[in-house]
Amino acid sequence: MATRSACRALERRFASAAAAAAAARPSAAEVRSQRNAVFSREQARQRALYPRIEKIEVSMQGPGLDGTLLVMNRGMSTPLSCARHLTEYHVNNSVLALVDGEPWPLHQPLTDSCSMTLLTFKDSDPTLANQAYWRSCAALLGQVLQTAFKDDYTVELLSTPEVPVTSGAFCCDVALDPQLDSWTPSEESLRSLTKGAQQLIHKDLPWEPLEVAPSVALEVFSHSRCKQEEVEEKAAQHPKGRVTLYRCGDHVLLSAGPLVGRTGLCSQYEVTALHSLRQGPWGLHRRAQGLSLPLQLQAHHTVWRKLRQRAEKLVEVSRLEEAAPPSPPDSTPPPTSQ
Amino acid sequence: MRLTLRALISHGRVARKMGLGPESRINMLRNLLTGLVRHERIETTTARADEVRFYAEKLVDYAKRGDTDEKAMKMASFWLTEKDLVPKLFNVLAPRFETHSKGYTRMARLPNRENLDRAKMAVLEYKGNPFPPLYPVKKDNELTLINQLLRGYREDRAQQLATKA
Repeated sequence: MATRSACRALERRFASAAAAAAAARPSAAEVRSQRNAVFSREQARQRALYPRIEKIEVSMQGPGLDGTLLVMNRGMSTPLSCARHLTEYHVNNSVLALVDGEPWPLHQPLTDSCSMTLLTFKDSDPTLANQAYWRSCAALLGQVLQTAFKDDYTVELLSTPEVPVTSGAFCCDVALDPQLDSWTPSEESLRSLTKGAQQLIHKDLPWEPLEVAPSVALEVFSHSRCKQEEVEEKAAQHPKGRVTLYRCGDHVLLSAGPLVGRTGLCSQYEVTALHSLRQGPWGLHRRAQGLSLPLQLQAHHTVWRKLRQRAEKLVEVSRLEEAAPPSPPDSTPPPTSQ
Repeated sequence: MRLTLRALISHGRVARKMGLGPESRINMLRNLLTGLVRHERIETTTARADEVRFYAEKLVDYAKRGDTDEKAMKMASFWLTEKDLVPKLFNVLAPRFETHSKGYTRMARLPNRENLDRAKMAVLEYKGNPFPPLYPVKKDNELTLINQLLRGYREDRAQQLATKA
């Protein structure tokens, strides 16, 4: 069974590679709509697995909520719907849910009776919420970069490195078209990228998670070899061998961990820099960096200016120690190469 | 005396009347002051606490003169009814407030008394007392996103200064 799906995946991969080489490159809009279609199909299929409504019991934990028992639907109710049963404060301020001790995105349906805690940015230990927020901002940056360039130029999103919050900026690794190798972004272009991000934030789009088998993920990213490798990497790391895809608007992306509920949670967001790293297998690797703060933790403009200045410096991430304590963001060469 | 309305209306009169008369008032204040010196934090009505405050600070000023001073010793022995507190005043409280020029006491309001009179209550303390603070200092959570970013910023600056120097 596993070999058959792997064979199918291999066939699809070779066929798609040949097709990509032979035919003209599909335009960005076509790629996006194809990914969207596969995502929607898989989402509908997963929803259809629960034809009858079955009830589960969710017991809430948290300040003022201890022991509250909510009766929700299996496979349909999300932590956000549990928050909706509580108060508007919970809906607006919850960032992530902790279901039986496991970080759970707000829009992912619950499958079993469990105990749930809603995390906010102002808890006594908001580390998980901070990490999720950082990852979501990086994902947003990736989405902006994907849609920012003209159709003549390809944009390859590489895997987003897991950067700790103290390093000052979130990063998104990207490999642009070879025609843009000599291009360095000016202030104006960074500002227009920021504007693009602010538009997405203003639309308040939800990040819809979907846990899929690696074959479906490979089908979603059938036009991008780089993404398919990333899918395989993530599938190998996951204990059950499944991959989580997220969709924001019409952009489908991969992420290492849970993302925040919706884009409207960010308030101050700026794309600060685009540094060129070394030449890699996909072209010239570039690192786009940004700085963001959520709606509940806005900074005074003086503080923001200082943090932003720091966020322009290159953030070094050593590939082998992604989970280690923060590395100082100076421009010394990384200890290991890739 | 002339029976005018002026005697009945008390606009602008700052001196308070307490107890049965002026002597009773002084005795009451003496008891309060003794309690304050013994326990360093007392709970009374707001008016009494406000009255005692003046005398408490004056007493400390006298104590700062030292126990060899005749006048200071007379004052201390008059105002403190429990004589074991006189050494405490000269040896503990006076050195504590050596650097302060004024403002040795702190007054804070309390919820009204539970009795039928619902009197306005206050707590009066000498500064530097061993009890937990009346206004607890609320520490900012170090782990919030903005504080973590600022921490990274501070470390970065410290590193830059270290490499520059």
